[in-house]
Amino acid sequence: MVPTDEKQARVAGAPAAAEAPATGCYVYGILAASATDPAVEKLTPVGGDKETRVGYVRHGDVAAAVSPLPGGRPLGRPEDLRAHADVLNTLAATGAPVLPFRFGTVLKDTQAVSDDVLAKGHDSFVHALERLDGRAQFTLRATYDEEALLREIFADRPDITELRESVAQMPEDAAYYQRVRLGELIYESVAARREKDTELIKERLGPLADAMVVSEAPTDDGVTDVAFLVNDDRRADFERTADRLAGDWQNRIRMRLLGPLAPYDFVAEAMEETEGEA
Amino acid sequence: MTMATQSGTYMDRPSGGGLVDVVDLILDKGLVIDVYLRVSLVGIELLTVDARIVVASVDTYLRFAEAANRLDLARSGTETKGLPGMMQEIREGGAQQKTKGALEGAKDSVKDTVGGMLGGGSDEDAEDQDGEAEESRQPKHRSRPASRKDRSR
Repeated sequence: MVPTDEKQARVAGAPAAAEAPATGCYVYGILAASATDPAVEKLTPVGGDKETRVGYVRHGDVAAAVSPLPGGRPLGRPEDLRAHADVLNTLAATGAPVLPFRFGTVLKDTQAVSDDVLAKGHDSFVHALERLDGRAQFTLRATYDEEALLREIFADRPDITELRESVAQMPEDAAYYQRVRLGELIYESVAARREKDTELIKERLGPLADAMVVSEAPTDDGVTDVAFLVNDDRRADFERTADRLAGDWQNRIRMRLLGPLAPYDFVAEAMEETEGEA
Repeated sequence: MTMATQSGTYMDRPSGGGLVDVVDLILDKGLVIDVYLRVSLVGIELLTVDARIVVASVDTYLRFAEAANRLDLARSGTETKGLPGMMQEIREGGAQQKTKGALEGAKDSVKDTVGGMLGGGSDEDAEDQDGEAEESRQPKHRSRPASRKDRSR
């Protein structure tokens, strides 16, 4: 991962040419050459340069969404991250599949994108795009309502309620270990609920998706994050079912559904299987 | 309570996605061309690891305990908190604008870390932010894996 290659060093804009800042070609993702939608041209590119626009590099049946990247400044501002996601989400919204690249993919120039990426991976990309055709990713983020969750736990567990009451009566310093114990008990109860609620999400929505990836929620109040690969034919059914579940849980769990998104969680698999089958 | 006939009646359907959503999606997912062709720009690699650290530790337990203590059990339960109130909360920015609860502490620290690491401010406070990020990057306790995944089809 250490940029030892001369090409990389130049693109990163770090060492050599101080007076002439290095430039690169930022790559968002890959799509069918027939699906290149001009909508992305209106979006702010990664790097935020007003002189540049998002466009396409084409090779054979595939194309890459790219934009010139001015050098001299490291990437990674929140706007850069949003710009990357906006381009991919805009492409995903057109209904044609797009293979998203990880944030921060930069090549030397459009020629390098064409030769080193599109030409070399042409057939794999075509195959992966075919596999993902007619499907989009939806990511469900479920989080607990803190108060509702705690009330639920107290109602179920008289022992925890009792401990809480005794802790409340002690001076803060004296009750340190009891407080840790109280928190631990609550934490364990949350974990048990999380497991159960995650199962229900999988049970209700899993059958409506072609694939799913379940991740641990990134925050303490999270239930789970689940990415679903949903076929266009079943999208309405999927959304209805998810909403019904949100209704059942309306006072205890908040459900956020992101999508349609580029298949961030499924692209690696689509590429792997391509290799395996060929 | 289950008469939702229209999509989006109960669910939150954000159109853009907050920074946390975006970070989660694009930093550690997606295709990587090739180790030798890919350029990782300064700071990005680190972020993918550290932004997702979830701390389950004494600190976490204490936050839960505090939340429990703040809770007024005498007040009536969530049954009385009707849908309109709920929806309003969500529309008004939901978790982000709600009074910070204990459970949201971790989320905030993720945001702080991200914000700090990503800079985004002027050059003047960049150094300051770096310092903070450095501090919060140190995983003090790590008993949950940062990203455990189950794949299923």
